[in-house]
Amino acid sequence: MENKFNIKNNKNFNKVSNIIESLTINPNPDSVAVLEEIGTNSSIDEVRELTSRALVKRNEHGSLSVVISNRGKGINDMSTVVAMSTINELLSLENKEEAMKVLESTISSDSFDDEVKENARSVKALMALS
Amino acid sequence: MSTVEKITQLSHRIFNTSVNEQNTSRTSNPFAASNFQKNILTEDVFEPSKAKEAKNVSFTGNLSASSKRIYSTFVGSLSDLGNKFYEGIESIVAFGKSVRDGIVNTWNKIQEIGNKEISLEGAKNILNKEVSFEGAKNMLSMDITSLFAKPKEREIAKMAKMDPHSEVKPMLSEALSALEADMVAAA
Repeated sequence: MENKFNIKNNKNFNKVSNIIESLTINPNPDSVAVLEEIGTNSSIDEVRELTSRALVKRNEHGSLSVVISNRGKGINDMSTVVAMSTINELLSLENKEEAMKVLESTISSDSFDDEVKENARSVKALMALS
Repeated sequence: MSTVEKITQLSHRIFNTSVNEQNTSRTSNPFAASNFQKNILTEDVFEPSKAKEAKNVSFTGNLSASSKRIYSTFVGSLSDLGNKFYEGIESIVAFGKSVRDGIVNTWNKIQEIGNKEISLEGAKNILNKEVSFEGAKNMLSMDITSLFAKPKEREIAKMAKMDPHSEVKPMLSEALSALEADMVAAA
């Protein structure tokens, strides 16, 4: 019989979730660095998903750059669940102005991979439609 | 005679007293059904003998002796009721007196305590010392939702005020390590 571990009911996961949520509303800009350093580099998909969503919710240039322009993070994450969840959060933003700026700069910049640019272009198209 | 007819006649008798007087013969013997020498009267037996013979409608004529006894008992009970009513009033008055005495005693006690231990001025001073107006104002200006916030929200709000690098980062690293350990243990 398979004993499936339910991460959502885990006490430590709830603790991690609360800490990430606190960093979402923390006015200190250093919160973005902590989220990027610890959260987006976690081996646990659920933690990366929470971190990416938190960075989008902050809706700042720095936090949005992490999830849009970085290879393997946010919309470029190898996990489809994490990438789709980040895109969904971007689409849910009330003020999409900053996100559109970051997407445009990513598409037009030569310093990013083609894959990253392609993802940014697709998300931009979705956001224009929403 | 049916019951309805009896009731009609009785009401007629009650509400037309002049008719009653007319039917009561003054020449009838008032002691016809009595014997004062040997018997003790327990009920009203002063009734006209003529009425009995003629079977006329009379207030007492058609009532049997047992009925009369019952009625006399009823009248007696009415007088008892009066006594009980009077006793009830007496007890209410006594209760009122005791309540009044209680209130007076309490008031005296309060005054006694107030004079000896707690004066109004003293209480005012204590209030001024302990709870300043500014403090009350701050309390009122507080976000009311914070008083009813759930523990989770309180914890998040508390952590949101911490320094991300020096305080939150170690907490997050520790929690992540514990989570990873749980996952390994479950696998």
